[in-house]
Amino acid sequence: MFAYVVKRLISGVLVVTLVSMAIFLLFWFGPSSPAQPICDRETSNRCTQTKLALYEKTLGYDNPVYEEYGKYVKGIFVGRTLTIASNDYECGAPCLGVSFRTKQPVKEELVSRIPATFSIAIGGAFLYLLFGVPIGVAAAKRRGTVADKALVSSFLFISSIPYYLFALLTWLYLTITFEVPFFSDTGYFPITEVGPFKWFSGLFLAWVALGIFGCTQYTRFTRGAMVEALSEDYIRTAKAKGLPTRTIVYKHGLRAALVPVVTIFGIDFGTLLAGTIFTERIFEIQGIGWWSLEAVQGRDLPVVQATALFSAVVLIISNLLVDVVYSVLDPRVRLS
Amino acid sequence: MSAETAGPETLGSLSTEPEHQDPNSQQAKEISGKSPMRIALGRLARDKIAVICAIVVLFFIFCAVFAGPISSVFGVSLETPLASERVDGLNKGLPLPEMGPPNGAFTMEHPMGVAPRTGEDNLAYWLYGCRVSLLIATTATIFASVVGVIIGLLAGFLGGAVDKMLSFFIDMFLTVPFLLAALTLAPIINDRFNTADNYGTIQKIALVVVLSIFGWMGTARLIRGEVITLREREFVQAARVMGMPTSRILFKELLPNLAAPIIISVSLMLPTFVALEAGLAFLGIGVTDGVSWGQTILKATNLTFFREYPQYLWQPLLGIVALVLSLNLLGDAVRDALDPKTRR
Repeated sequence: MFAYVVKRLISGVLVVTLVSMAIFLLFWFGPSSPAQPICDRETSNRCTQTKLALYEKTLGYDNPVYEEYGKYVKGIFVGRTLTIASNDYECGAPCLGVSFRTKQPVKEELVSRIPATFSIAIGGAFLYLLFGVPIGVAAAKRRGTVADKALVSSFLFISSIPYYLFALLTWLYLTITFEVPFFSDTGYFPITEVGPFKWFSGLFLAWVALGIFGCTQYTRFTRGAMVEALSEDYIRTAKAKGLPTRTIVYKHGLRAALVPVVTIFGIDFGTLLAGTIFTERIFEIQGIGWWSLEAVQGRDLPVVQATALFSAVVLIISNLLVDVVYSVLDPRVRLS
Repeated sequence: MSAETAGPETLGSLSTEPEHQDPNSQQAKEISGKSPMRIALGRLARDKIAVICAIVVLFFIFCAVFAGPISSVFGVSLETPLASERVDGLNKGLPLPEMGPPNGAFTMEHPMGVAPRTGEDNLAYWLYGCRVSLLIATTATIFASVVGVIIGLLAGFLGGAVDKMLSFFIDMFLTVPFLLAALTLAPIINDRFNTADNYGTIQKIALVVVLSIFGWMGTARLIRGEVITLREREFVQAARVMGMPTSRILFKELLPNLAAPIIISVSLMLPTFVALEAGLAFLGIGVTDGVSWGQTILKATNLTFFREYPQYLWQPLLGIVALVLSLNLLGDAVRDALDPKTRR
């Protein structure tokens, strides 16, 4: 067990390192000059060659790439001082750079965006399970009936529509056209400032849209796993013992069926935490996804770089946790 | 779609209505076997949903291929003479009543109306949007499939260190969500090329490249798994003993046996890419310089336009939904037809 976790940790660290290198190289060699966006911004689009050279020099773009990558990594652990043109910006650890637009350390703004994204992720993931698992169990219990077939085909239909169009229509019609009172003001409102009701009503529609769309997958998985579990021999034994149906379905069947569901749930939850770009864009929730989209439009390269790194790290950590939890739940995994 | 398709077709063509058949020809038929692909096609043809979806997909392909001729039949084009001739600047930039909805009836000059503010013809934009969507999705699917198949073949067949390394890369790419990668690359591509004359084309190529780079892993995994089971089969061993070079074993012996998983992965990829192309354009990071359904949706969600003129949103939206939905359902039917075990 311990050896398995260590092995997964080492490969996780390796992947994080490779991804951070890839992102760094991308932003180093990708643009015609990495200093061009900030030079354009600071000089109101009158960026001359000399000015560009000044920005490149102070940002360190005239140094070899490995040297700058070393500084970047060092900044993440101990912080550093960044110079843009003639101004110095203090950037404490973990330093992810300084925003081209606001000149604030990226880390601080990133931290301020996390509550919004985490709120969506927790609510959405909760609804995945709340809708998905019971409906899947119910469908498996009524396997082959009209209700089951109708459910399976309608869920197949919903999951075949692109998510963002589903969310967009939900938002446009409920919030704009019909102005349903509870849904009329979507967005993220900090729970500490406006109270839980406003926070809840601002996010509710986004949760429901995410939940309804995402639960289709969980229903399918739960139903499949339950159908399989309910046809096992030990279920027949339980029936023969005369156990009540409730106990058979929920205690003996569901427990076995939940293992694969837990796995995809972990991965999905990680994906949600890493930034729900479409959800945030459509429901006007100013989380990490919204922020990175804004940064893309404002050519704010350090912010894009930081959000990419953040999301990748969140995903890698969540995958790691899923693997470890899975190996606890199912000992066959770590032995293979 | 379950009971009637699991019928006797696997026994060759045993006819269910023998009284219509000439006894001689029936006998001839009974001994002729059917290839797995023929059996799958037969199942597909009997699946009503699959047939309807195939017709819808063919309609979209027709629109995409003949976007030019169709728009000239209706007398519409992408060029807009002067926006002020078509839209009412005083009324929020909505189309003039004589141009069609929302303030007038549909006209023959602009069968689907014109866009607010710019006065672009909706039908022409819809047709060319369909072309862009299918073109990008198909090209990316081809590239991603080729890369996925090659990597899957190599990882599965060579095994050992090569397999370990390739599997590590597959897993690594799988941890990077596609949307994030596209978002990261968008400003870089924009920064490098936004002054180029053919920026629109570069954007499309970049989009295809990004879709391919982050779309091949599923295929690679699937193919790798298949190859690992095929590798130990007698015909591969025989080919090895005969001294066939590895490349020939891979492409002549293994590849034909991988038709089913390749078709399955293509059927999964195509609708995903159609949806992603439009989704990225909707976010303003895909095709921003040219025609795209997603871009029209982005324009139509401008709240003033949406309140007055929701049809403008519905046209591209229904296009995407119908295309993605029928591609998905068709893909599901193809998967069922190829592998009867997955049938619920």
